[in-house]
Amino acid sequence: MTLVTSILMTSGAVAGVGLACGIALAMAAKYLAVKEDPRIGDVTELLPGANCGGCGYAGCADYAKAVVIDDVSINLCAPGAQSVIDDLAKYLGKASEQAEKTVAKVMCGGNSDQAPRKFLYNGVADCGAAHAVGGGDKSCRYGCLGYGSCSRICPVSAIEITDTNIAVVHPALCIGCGACVRTCPRALIKMIPASRSIHVMCSSKDKGPVVKKACKVGCIGCTVCTKLADGAINMEGPLAIVDYSKDLDNEAVVEKCPGKCIVKE
Amino acid sequence: MKALNALFKFKGGVHPDYNKDLCRDQEIKTMPLPSVLKVSMSQHLGAPATPLVKKGDEVLRGQLIGDSSGFISASVHAPTSGKVVAVEPAATATGASCTAVSIEPDGEDKWIDGLKGIDNWENANKKDLVEAIANAGIVGMGGAGFPTNVKLSPPPEKKITTLIINGAECEPYLTADHRLMLEQAQKVWDGCRIIMKILEAEKIIVAIEDNKPEAIQAMEKVMEGTDLNASIAILATEYPQGAEKQQIFSTIGKEVPSGGLPMDVGAVVENVGTVTAIYDAIVKGLPLTERVTTVTGGVIAEPGNVVNRIGTSFQDLIDFCGGFKSKAAKVIAGGPMMGFAQANTATTTTKTTSGILCLGPEKACSYESMPCISCGRCVSACPMKLVPSELSQYLEAEDYEGAEEINVMDCIECGCCAFECPAKRPLVQHMRQGKAHVMIKRRAAQAKK
Amino acid sequence: MSQTVIEYLLLILGAVLVNNFVLTRFLGICPFLGVSKKISTALGMCGAVIFVMTLASAVTWPVYYYVLHQDGVFGKDLTYLITIVFILVIASFVQLVDIAMKKFSPKLHGALGIFLPLITTNCAVLGVSVLNIQLKYGFLKSTVFGFAASLGFSVALLIFTGLREKIDRANPPRAFQGVAIALVTAGLLSLAFMGFASLVK
Repeated sequence: MTLVTSILMTSGAVAGVGLACGIALAMAAKYLAVKEDPRIGDVTELLPGANCGGCGYAGCADYAKAVVIDDVSINLCAPGAQSVIDDLAKYLGKASEQAEKTVAKVMCGGNSDQAPRKFLYNGVADCGAAHAVGGGDKSCRYGCLGYGSCSRICPVSAIEITDTNIAVVHPALCIGCGACVRTCPRALIKMIPASRSIHVMCSSKDKGPVVKKACKVGCIGCTVCTKLADGAINMEGPLAIVDYSKDLDNEAVVEKCPGKCIVKE
Repeated sequence: MKALNALFKFKGGVHPDYNKDLCRDQEIKTMPLPSVLKVSMSQHLGAPATPLVKKGDEVLRGQLIGDSSGFISASVHAPTSGKVVAVEPAATATGASCTAVSIEPDGEDKWIDGLKGIDNWENANKKDLVEAIANAGIVGMGGAGFPTNVKLSPPPEKKITTLIINGAECEPYLTADHRLMLEQAQKVWDGCRIIMKILEAEKIIVAIEDNKPEAIQAMEKVMEGTDLNASIAILATEYPQGAEKQQIFSTIGKEVPSGGLPMDVGAVVENVGTVTAIYDAIVKGLPLTERVTTVTGGVIAEPGNVVNRIGTSFQDLIDFCGGFKSKAAKVIAGGPMMGFAQANTATTTTKTTSGILCLGPEKACSYESMPCISCGRCVSACPMKLVPSELSQYLEAEDYEGAEEINVMDCIECGCCAFECPAKRPLVQHMRQGKAHVMIKRRAAQAKK
Repeated sequence: MSQTVIEYLLLILGAVLVNNFVLTRFLGICPFLGVSKKISTALGMCGAVIFVMTLASAVTWPVYYYVLHQDGVFGKDLTYLITIVFILVIASFVQLVDIAMKKFSPKLHGALGIFLPLITTNCAVLGVSVLNIQLKYGFLKSTVFGFAASLGFSVALLIFTGLREKIDRANPPRAFQGVAIALVTAGLLSLAFMGFASLVK
C-alpha cells in the first residue's frame, strides 16, 4: 500500500467514525434539547464570581438564576457594588439603583488597655465559646472578646485581631459580604457607609456607672453628643447610636464626649 | 421493704474521686438571714419571671414577686419579709444577665397571710394539686430547674407507667440529697406519695446509689408496709447515674429516644429535693423559698450542708461555713463535673444551687490542650453513645452541619469525655459551642418559615 | 458454583482489589484528587464513573471488532487507530449521555451531570477500553471488567475521601495543607493496597 493510500485510508476511517458520531450528536442536540434561559449564563458572567454568599444566595450562579427567573433585586451584590448594579440594569433593561459602598465595623473600642479581663479564661479560643463561659471573660458584657471568630470567617482576611486583643476591620479590604456580622455572637459588627468617619465605638447597654467600671472608653449615656449632632446621634437606652442616614458634620462630638468613645477616622 | 440491686446499667460513665467524706456526715444546718437577698427572676428553665415589685416596696415571706411568664416558666416568691432595695440586672451563675429583686430582710421573717395547704390531699383533685405546685413556684431542684407543674402534666397520650425518684446524687462532693434522705426520709416518702396521686403511675422506684447505704436503710424503713407498687433500686455508683436518661435505663431498662423526653418511655423522674418542696407546698401551702446547698471543697474551713434562702450570696454561705482556710482558686456553682465556675463570690443562690465547691490551686489546675490522638477513651465513656473525638474535630473546624448529623444535640454535657481525655481537650466546651450554633441555625430556619 | 461464575467473581475481585485502577494502575488520578474533598460529591462521582465506564466498555468493544479489525466494515486492519477512534467514540458517547440525561432525568443530571465532562477524557475510561482489547476479552467479559474497574475506582475514591475529610479537619501544617497531604495519603493508600498483591493470580 502506498503512503498516500494509507494516509487517505486512515483519515477516511477516522473521519467516517467522526462523522457518524457527529451526526448522532447533532440529532441528539436537536431532538433531545432542553430549554434553558441563556440569560442566566450571561448574568453569572457579569457578577464578580467571589461566591461569598453575601447576597443571601448560594454563590453567583444561584443569584443570577434568582435575578433572571424570580426577578430578585439587582442591588444585593455587595462586592460588585455600583458597577455590577449598573451592568445588571443595562443587561436586563431595568432602571439602575443607587448603592452606597458599605463596609463592616466592629463597634467596640475596649481593647485590653481600656477594658481589663474579669477572670482567667481557659478554653476554646472562639468568641461564641468564650461568651458561653460566665458571660465572657471581658469586664464588659457587650464588648469585643477578641478570640477571632470574625477574623477567621472573613473570606478576604480583612479583619485583624490586634495585639491589644480586639478585632479591627480594614475598610479598604472589606468587600461588604456581611459574614462577620452574622458570626459575631455579641452582634457587635455593623455595616456602615464607607464614606462616614465619625463613629460611637461602644455597644454597651449597661448604665453609665456600670460601663465606667468596666471600660475606660465606654458610652456612659450622658447625651451630650445628641445635643451637638443635630439629630444624627440618638439615644437607645443608655447607649448613643449614630444614624448614618443623616449627615454628621459637627466634629465637636469627638472632643466633647466625656467617655472618649466617639472617634473620627 | 427490701432494697434490690438495679437490673440494668447504662453504657459508659466514669468514676471520679467522690470526696463526699467532707460533708456526708454533716447534719443539715440552717444559716441565719444575710444582710441582703438578691433573688433572680431566672431560677428555672424557660422564660424569666416578670417582676411584680419595685424599689421601696415592702414584701412578706412567700409573697409572689415574680410572675410566671409563659408555658415554660415559674413564679418566684420573696424568701423573707423586708424591703425591696433594688430591681436591676444581675449576673447569674452561668454568666447570663437577668433582672434580680434585692430584698433587705427586716428580721421578722413574717410569712404572708393566707398560705394554706390542701387538707386531705389523698382525695383531692389532680388539677388542684398541680395548680398548688405551680403556685408554689416549684422547679426541678436537681439542677435543671424545669417547672415541676409542667413535668407533672404530661399530655394524655403519654401514659406514665413509672415514677422514678432520683436519690443518686452522682456528682462528687455534693451530699445535700443524701442528708435529706437520711434526716427527712418520711417527708421524702410523703412527697413521693403525693406525686403518685397526681401521675397515677403503675409503680414508683426510689433510685439510690450504693455509696449511700444509710440513706437506703432510712428509705427502706419509711416505705415499709406501703400499698403502692413501690421499690428501692440500688444503683451502681457511677457518674452520671443521676442523669435522667441514664437513670431511666438503669431502673427500667428503657432508652429515651434521641431528641425525646422521659415521658416517651412512660417515665417521670423527680429529684428528692423537689419532692420535699412538693410536700411543703401541698401539706403546708408554703411556696419554695429555700433549699439545702452543700458548701464544700478543700479550702472551706467547716464544710457542710446548709439550708439557705434563695438569693443568699455565695460569700455569705462560705462565711457561715467558716470562710476560706487557704487560697481558693476556683469557686464552682454545682459539682466539679457539670458546675459553673464563678468570676466572684457575689453570685447568689437560686432554687437549683445544689452545691458551692471551692477548690484550691492544686485541684483546680488548667491544662494546655493537644490534638486528638483518637485513643477512644471518650467514646467508651460517653453515656449517650456519641463519638466525642469526632464531634470535637468537626467543631474545631466549625463544621456545624456535620456535627448536627452526628448528633451533637444529644449531648447532655455531663463531662465524662473531657474527664477521660488524655489530650486534655475542651470537649464539653466544643459541644456547647456546637449546640449553640445549631440552635441559632434552627431558630433562623424557623423564623423564615 | 459454576466455573464461569467463579471466573467472573475473580475478575471483579482482581479489578477492585488486586489491580485497582487508581491505586495500582495509576489511571484516573485527576478526578481522584479533584473530587475527593466531600463524601457527597465523591458519591456523585462514583455513580457517574460506574455508569460511564461500564457503558463505554460495552460501546468500544464492537467499534474495535466491527470497524477497526480487518474483519470489520472497512476490511482493512486499522487497529493502529485504536487510541484516536476510542477517544472519539467515548467523548461523543459521554456527550450523548449528558444530553439524554438532561432531557430525561433532570434530577439525575443535577447530581451527576457536572462530573460527566470530567470523565470524558479520563484515562481510566480509555484505559479499561484498551485493556479489554489487549486482554482479548469477549463482549460480556469486557462489560463486566469495565464495571469492576469502575467499582474499584469508587472503592478507592470513597476510602480516600473519608481520609481526606478527616485530615483536613485535623489542621495539617501549612506546607502540607490541601493537595500536598492528599498526595502523601494517596501514596500510603497505594502501598496499603499492595497487600492484596497475591490474592488473585
